[in-house]
Amino acid sequence: MDEQFFAWLDGELNPEEAAEVEKRVAADPELSDAAAEHRALAMQLHGAFDPVTQAPIPDRIRSAVRPPSPVTELASWRQRRQSGRPAVQHWAAMAATLAVGIVVGTMVPTDDGSPFELRGGQMVAASALDHALDTQLASAASGDTRIGLTFRDRSGAICRSFENNASSGVACSEVGHWRIHGLFAAPEGQDGSYRIAAGSDPNLAALIETRIAGEPFDAKQEAKARARDWR
Amino acid sequence: MTATFAFEDELTTLLPRLRRFAHGLSRNAADADDLTQLTIERALRSREQWQPGTRLDAWTYRIMRNLWIDTARSRARKEKVEAPPEEAESVGEDPRSAIHAAIDLQRVMAAMERLPDEQREVVALILIEGFGYREAAELLGLPIGTVSSRLVRGRTALLALVGER
Repeated sequence: MDEQFFAWLDGELNPEEAAEVEKRVAADPELSDAAAEHRALAMQLHGAFDPVTQAPIPDRIRSAVRPPSPVTELASWRQRRQSGRPAVQHWAAMAATLAVGIVVGTMVPTDDGSPFELRGGQMVAASALDHALDTQLASAASGDTRIGLTFRDRSGAICRSFENNASSGVACSEVGHWRIHGLFAAPEGQDGSYRIAAGSDPNLAALIETRIAGEPFDAKQEAKARARDWR
Repeated sequence: MTATFAFEDELTTLLPRLRRFAHGLSRNAADADDLTQLTIERALRSREQWQPGTRLDAWTYRIMRNLWIDTARSRARKEKVEAPPEEAESVGEDPRSAIHAAIDLQRVMAAMERLPDEQREVVALILIEGFGYREAAELLGLPIGTVSSRLVRGRTALLALVGER
């Protein structure tokens, strides 16, 4: 059995060469047996891997291609809320307040790199987070900060949800800064990139729901709002 | 925007085949899905390097193969330090085992695992994924003669492994 024999078996030869090998195989019982065995092997290999191609794609792989968008998350959250469990909203608002308290209490920004700072007793976005909220569109390839939804709240201010490895939350535009209106710590022991791939914190969707007036912005409205400096 | 979605759509349709290739290369299903996920993430990050009009499947398979080589190497280093590599003992232990008996995925993966890396990738690409010799050679960056001789050694060893009791 040489390479030509296998090339013939795999259909890699031109018609003349193939006819030649075929004659050789037909005349040689040992080669005929080998051909049958190797054909069976190829079929077994194929058959063995069939379950893999027929199985549903695991979620983590599917969402690696297309992370669930905040818009669909909000929609599915609304759907779930309509089908019962009305109390979640209040819990989420409380949890948000609590998270802000914890964050302010334990990591009062001291160094320059912190994404938050206190200004007049209020927590506002700083450094990279401030910059991302100012400039980044939801469609941007993932940097440290991922922007989710942009929307108008009930007071008419533009708000944006954000997410990074350590936390997620909502910030609303005020004169000269983004005020943090809710902040959730990332679940412990979870790598940020996987968390994002697996979808946002349902608390975040609930918090957005308590503030949003109408529907979230689409990409066009988002870009327009940026051009108008989020006013 | 449309181009972006087209890329992701195409990648999505490739997922079943990518998972199969990953199973052909990896020693178990969990490793295979890790490899698939890494490949998708890498493909999305380097999407500008893909030239529209060329085959996305070959491009993505190449990413997967290179990632697999990297992880296989680092794992080999680790195992050398920690413990000797385990033998694929389950191969051939099935009492029904006969060459023509149905062999399940696990057994085939265990048999594939025993092939040297350079034979395993060629067997996976040509016998399982259905690439032609030339396509496989281009994908691996090897001369076609090298691919063809590795394929002979790989499939001959594999026949002995799945046939042995």
